[in-house]
This record gives sequence, structure tokens and C-alpha cells, in this order.
Amino acid sequence: MVLEYSPMETQSIIALNTLEHGRCRPWPFLQDFCLTCGICAGACPASGVDGFDPRKLVRMISLGMEDETVSERWPWICTMCGKCANLCPMEIDIPGLVRKIRSRRRREEVPGILHKGLEAALETGNNLRLPKDDYVFILEEIAAEPGFEGFTVPIDKTGARILTTIHNKLVNTHTEDLKHWWKIFHAAGEDWTVPSENWEGTNWGYFTGDDAAIRKFWKNSVL
Amino acid sequence: MTVFDLLIEYIREGRIHLDTSRFKDRRATYHDPCNYGRQAQRRFGHGFFEEPRWILSQCMDHWQDLYPARMNQICCGGGGGTLNTGYNEERIFYARRKFDQIKTSGADMLVVPCHSCHGQFNAVKKDYGMENLEIKYLWELVADCLVVG
Ligand code: SF4
Ligand code: SF4
Repeated sequence: MVLEYSPMETQSIIALNTLEHGRCRPWPFLQDFCLTCGICAGACPASGVDGFDPRKLVRMISLGMEDETVSERWPWICTMCGKCANLCPMEIDIPGLVRKIRSRRRREEVPGILHKGLEAALETGNNLRLPKDDYVFILEEIAAEPGFEGFTVPIDKTGARILTTIHNKLVNTHTEDLKHWWKIFHAAGEDWTVPSENWEGTNWGYFTGDDAAIRKFWKNSVL
Repeated sequence: MTVFDLLIEYIREGRIHLDTSRFKDRRATYHDPCNYGRQAQRRFGHGFFEEPRWILSQCMDHWQDLYPARMNQICCGGGGGTLNTGYNEERIFYARRKFDQIKTSGADMLVVPCHSCHGQFNAVKKDYGMENLEIKYLWELVADCLVVG
């Protein structure tokens, strides 16, 4: 029988002699205690894509191969669902490990629109770079539709009990879905508001492993 | 305060009233988002499992849970940024077990309290021959069941 290895696996075989312990401080996810039981691999929805499974990734970090993992697709095809960590007998924090590997990637090489959206949010207050006037216009247009008589969107209301944010898709392709909460707030007589700036409700720094960006994002939103 | 607590507060305090007959002919089920359930339980010691189920039961007399659910729930495949990495074929593949589970339940409506799950289910349901499955936000269900006036 001929075993087929993906390029990443071949590298890990070659690099077996780089085994290095004592890295629990920079990589505090318990990866060195892996029993190689494979429970995580069996639980993972992404196992099989590109030869990926979480056990292999854990072993690579344990073997000191973090640089190899950073440039690969593996850490990015994980959904961070936590099934692996929930079942792991050694309580290894695999999603945490994945996020740390992601944080090591050069920001311009983060796949898809994740980093671009985050940059946009930090610069303009939302992932879409939607100007304030257009945004306010969209909210007011939707609120003027039939069924919303006597309702106005309380934008920038000071002293409100509840401050809400908005998922960018709701002022883009899914404006209908703005209405559910408006109906509930209206029926409940809630004292609420939504900001005219920094209204973005999604923070892609959670996915890209960018803690500094997350802090800056929430500072913008809250102040 | 979470959206769950807020909805529960409105219902408990009688600030909103819900009509449980609105969807009485529908077969609904509920999906536990990884981050509100399992991951919240692991990281913060409290997973939001009971709260959404209680809200659902205020909206409909009958609905069916998926199996397995809660801590052992199956991921929809749309988390961790995968909706926005451009790796779409992979994302469809991840959902295979979830759709097996939904098909087995016989549901025609899937209630979710998460924007990522909602986006993922709508994006891939056709790939699993379930284009008629209605994907509903938990708060959309509440809004639909509101008794007004
Ligand atoms: S479940 Fe845990 S111990 Fe088992 S292979 Fe995976 S990481 Fe290692
Ligand atoms: S968190 Fe990632 S590695 Fe773990 S089971 Fe989910 S997709 Fe797989």
C-alpha cells in the first residue's frame, strides 16, 4: 500500500528531529500533553480537507513547527467550533491554538475579506466603509415602510437604557432583518438607541487573532 | 446582558405577548451556535442552552430538538470567519453532518440565534436539497409571534 502524504505532512516527518519542549509560556494550550488519540480528528467538521485534522496541527506545534503552520491553509479552514477541545481527554485548547497561529500570519495575507473588513471598521466605524449619511438614510427608509407608522429609529439618543450595534449585512443585503428587533423594542416600549457612527456589530479580529484591533474597535464603539 | 436575557425579561414581565398558534402547523427545530453554547460554557462557565429553548417554547407549543444538541451539538460550518475567507467549497463540506441531522428531524423551520449560522444555513441549504427549509432568527420568531394592540 502506498501512503500519500500532503506537503505539510511530509514537512512534519522531516522535522521530527526538531522536537522542542518548554514552550508552554508562548504557546499555553497544553499541546505537549497530546495523547495522539485522535478523538479531536474524529469530531472535527473540517477533518479531511487538505489532509487537515486538529491532531496533526497540535502535534506540529508540539514539535516546534509553528512557522510551518503559519503560512498554511490549515489554521484558516477550522471553524473554531470547539468540538475537538470539548472532547479532548487532555483538555487541549485547540481553537485557542488555531487563533494564535492565525495571529502570526502577516495581516495582508489573511485570507478573504476578514482583515480588509476589520481595517475598514477601525478606520470608518464599519466593515463596509459605508458613509454616515448613507447609513442614516437606509435606516430611515426602512423605518418609513408600511407597518412602521408611528415608529422612528432612535439614532444617537442620549441616556437610553440599551445601546445596540448592527451587523453590517443588515444595512447592506439583508435590510428586512432590521425590522425584527425594531418590532420587539416597539412592542416592549423599550428605551433604546443605535449610534450614527461606529455602529458595526461584528468584529473580525476574533477570527484573525488580532487582539490589538479588538481593543481599538471596542474603544471606538464605546467612547 | 445578552439578547436571550432581554427577550426573557420582556416575556416574563409581560412587556410583550406572544401568540403560540402562529406557527402551529410548522415543524421547527433549534440549532445551538457553537459560540453561544459549547464555547461559552468552556470559556466562561455558562453556555446559553436553556435560555433560547425557553424562548422557543413561549413561541410554539411543539418543536423538536436535534440530536445530539447542547455540548455535543454539530457545527453548522459557518464559524471562525469561514464565511469570509473565500474557502466556500470547504464550508459546504463542513455542513454535511448538520444537514443529516436536520433532515432526520423532519423540520421545515430551523431557528438560530446567530448571524453566522443564519448566513451559512441559507447559503448551503440548496446544496443539501433543502431549499425549502426556512431559517429563522430567534428574535424574528419572537417578532412574528407578537400580539400587537
Ligand atoms: S483529542 Fe486531544 S489528546 Fe487526543 S489527539 Fe486530539 S489533541 Fe491529542
Ligand atoms: S475547533 Fe477547529 S479543529 Fe476543532 S473541531 Fe472545530 S473545526 Fe475542527
